[in-house]
Amino acid sequence: MSALSAEPLPRDTEQRSRTDARHDFVFRLLLRFCALLVLAALLGAALSTLWGGREVLFKDGLHFLFSSDWNPVNDQYGALAPIVGTLVTSLIALLLAVPVSFGIALFLTEIAPNWMRGPVSSAIELLAAIPSIIYGMWGLFIFVPFMASIEPTLSDTLGNIPLIGALFQGPPLGLGLLTAGIVLAVMILPFISSVMREVFRTVPARLKESSYALGSTTWEVVWNIVLPYTRSAVIGGIFLGLGRALGETMAVTFVLGNSYNLTASLLMPGTSISSSIANEFNEAVGLHRSALIALGFLLFVVTFIVLLIARFMLRQLARKEGR
Amino acid sequence: MSAVYARRRIVNIIALTLSGFATLIGLFFLVWILWITLQNGLPALKLTLFTKITAYADTGGLANAMVGSLIMDLMALLICAPIGVLAGTYLAEYASSTRLGASIRFLNDILLSAPSIVLGLFVYVIIVIPTTELTGGRISFSGFAGSVALALIGLPVIVRTTDEMLQLVPGTLREAALSLGIPQWKLTLQVLMRAAFSGILTGVLLALARLAGETAPLLFTAFGNNFMTVHPLDKMASMPVTIYQYTNDPNPALHAIAWAGALLITLFVLALSLLTRIMFSRKKVSYE
Amino acid sequence: MNDLAAASAAALTDASPAKLKVRDVHFYYHGYHALKGINMDIPEKQVTAIIGPSGCGKSTLLRIFNRIYAIYPKLEAKGSIELDGENILDPSYSMNRLRTKVGMVFQKPVPFPMTIFENVAYGIRHHEKLSRADMDMRVEQALRSAALWDEVKDKLKQSALGLSGGQQQRLCIARGIALRPEVLLLDEPTSALDPIATGRIEQLVEELKHEYTIVIVTHNMQQAARVSDRTAFMYLGELIEFDNTEKIFTKPGKKQTEDYITGRFG
Repeated sequence: MSALSAEPLPRDTEQRSRTDARHDFVFRLLLRFCALLVLAALLGAALSTLWGGREVLFKDGLHFLFSSDWNPVNDQYGALAPIVGTLVTSLIALLLAVPVSFGIALFLTEIAPNWMRGPVSSAIELLAAIPSIIYGMWGLFIFVPFMASIEPTLSDTLGNIPLIGALFQGPPLGLGLLTAGIVLAVMILPFISSVMREVFRTVPARLKESSYALGSTTWEVVWNIVLPYTRSAVIGGIFLGLGRALGETMAVTFVLGNSYNLTASLLMPGTSISSSIANEFNEAVGLHRSALIALGFLLFVVTFIVLLIARFMLRQLARKEGR
Repeated sequence: MSAVYARRRIVNIIALTLSGFATLIGLFFLVWILWITLQNGLPALKLTLFTKITAYADTGGLANAMVGSLIMDLMALLICAPIGVLAGTYLAEYASSTRLGASIRFLNDILLSAPSIVLGLFVYVIIVIPTTELTGGRISFSGFAGSVALALIGLPVIVRTTDEMLQLVPGTLREAALSLGIPQWKLTLQVLMRAAFSGILTGVLLALARLAGETAPLLFTAFGNNFMTVHPLDKMASMPVTIYQYTNDPNPALHAIAWAGALLITLFVLALSLLTRIMFSRKKVSYE
Repeated sequence: MNDLAAASAAALTDASPAKLKVRDVHFYYHGYHALKGINMDIPEKQVTAIIGPSGCGKSTLLRIFNRIYAIYPKLEAKGSIELDGENILDPSYSMNRLRTKVGMVFQKPVPFPMTIFENVAYGIRHHEKLSRADMDMRVEQALRSAALWDEVKDKLKQSALGLSGGQQQRLCIARGIALRPEVLLLDEPTSALDPIATGRIEQLVEELKHEYTIVIVTHNMQQAARVSDRTAFMYLGELIEFDNTEKIFTKPGKKQTEDYITGRFG
């Protein structure tokens, strides 16, 4: 027992302390530098595309945003068609993906038996893991012909409804804004549904139980209790999906048709910011290239704002939970 | 009263049925897409895919694209893993309650879903243009530039997982090491990171799964190359970009090769994400 | 000097000299006044137990003795604590020196994610350059002192996470004494252990007091009665009574102490 007598140890603890403090300081600086690189990446993406697109952005200014004349031959660049294409396809994607995602989240949190929840939610999340180029190929080779086969029916039915009829008229090409919107909807489905599923789970059981105790049906509990409680986070999840849809490239490039003609019909080919860049960048020179980089800047700013809103809304619920 | 009740019940049943239907829609698309990839990819799987390069076009393979992807994915990880792990460590260990930490965490989440094509443009502007101008065009698009673009895709994934995993390490472990007079940097590198190792590794694999399937950031950074190269400053072929080019080509024989490539990439990415899922669920950190 | 300090100084006359002199220590936790002027002399090479209901500040006080609280923001200690005549709360008292002189064992066993050998060697290696043979010897000594050697000598290269809870806690004690500290702080060291493992730790404390000054915080009064020479009773951030253990448990001087000891509390 006495083997470990407290013999005095020749330790220079002062020296050691100073060395440790110096190392800690350097280590902390290194870590902070790495963390700041994350900021630098975002800031750099914004500034570099702003710089790369300066010739078009500062020369044409608002005209660049609102002109629909995109003509590399005459060096005319108006971004309206890609901007509209991006917004319209993303909007279609949201219109389709939000209710379906909500259904999936509802099913997985309230209805599905326990053994089913894990595997099914993993399967849905696998949709997010499939590389977007695969969506593009499936879209081009499989989904476009499928759409072409049903578009005459769409034109004959929905096309005759007043007001929205114009959206569904045109030759059955299969390619176009509607097709791209549907492909995007499938892509963003897992993102929105997993956010919804997660936040639905955070609703305190006592809230739901007290409603059930009053005789509410499952649907009424979800609609009157769960959804209002999680509203901000649900909106956050939707914006997260929107951010994804806006910036998606490969899935839509093949199925949009790459046309700069603005038409009212969703069945007609169009273009989007990201697919214009992907399609034309490597052949573009001079002002054309600058215009494409300027498009990238626009896309970045818009998605940044959308994602900012998304994260902000998602944080609201976290705060409510006291996290 | 009972009419109201019946109506409520019917609404409930309709809503619940629709939600089940929505789940089926999601699953249907998953199965459809995977089935199509398998159906088209399997018959096109040939040994020449792995032995011949894309220069032979429809009688060739994807060997140079595979090597290019491998090199660029690994280089990307070499860039983003250390930076991401250190940045995530900063967030968890030094800035968990500071304003700077909160802002970086917030912006990292935004980078996580930023459009990948813009990150490609970013790297084009900061690397491809300057190298082109400095070398008079000898070095323009390069595997290195491609790796940097991919690293930007992987970085936020690693930052986030590292941050989360380190926060799961119990605080008493920190106290125990500090009470022995161990300095913070040693504690962080030798104790905490070891405790959270499997979680951090999961983050790196997750990042690999994400960046391995990316096409858009490579289009104008690595460009493409019909020949085999391992030099990081050469234009470099990659699986996703080659698949993109072949899909755009009218030649159906190239479509077949593209499908084969698509199948390989999908299998790789899905296997990785399943693996990480299993690792995640098994144990987050080697402590309770 | 107030009553209490006088009393505790008086009580020391029949004991060893004071190793730690706590003088008017206040502690603020995000502005909350958690310790309100603590004065006590902790005798050398004896076991001092600190007892009291949860939230009384006993752990807080212990965590000031090696300034471990300082790793968290917005915590503040005032007053002085003299270790061998030097104030450890003085910023000029180096952390490294303090932490090698004052070791700590925590509530839950927290072995490092390393081998059993490395767990003990890790701390030593940071402070001293030892040859391999010396290191082996030091690790063995520490493990022997912690009464763990016989159980682990054949699996030193295995992960410490595979040990039982009681073994892990003794490993943590070995890790602490491997640095040859002068004071050993034990923060409810048996609260996560079963009765048999608890018994072994208590026996160990009994043996270690010949070499170290030990301060143990416990919520278990029987444990305090069993292992300690002196017992301090704290309540609501104040030191109510500090005396020989036997006296505290047989004829406490204060009503509050008596109520707590006899379980008539609250």
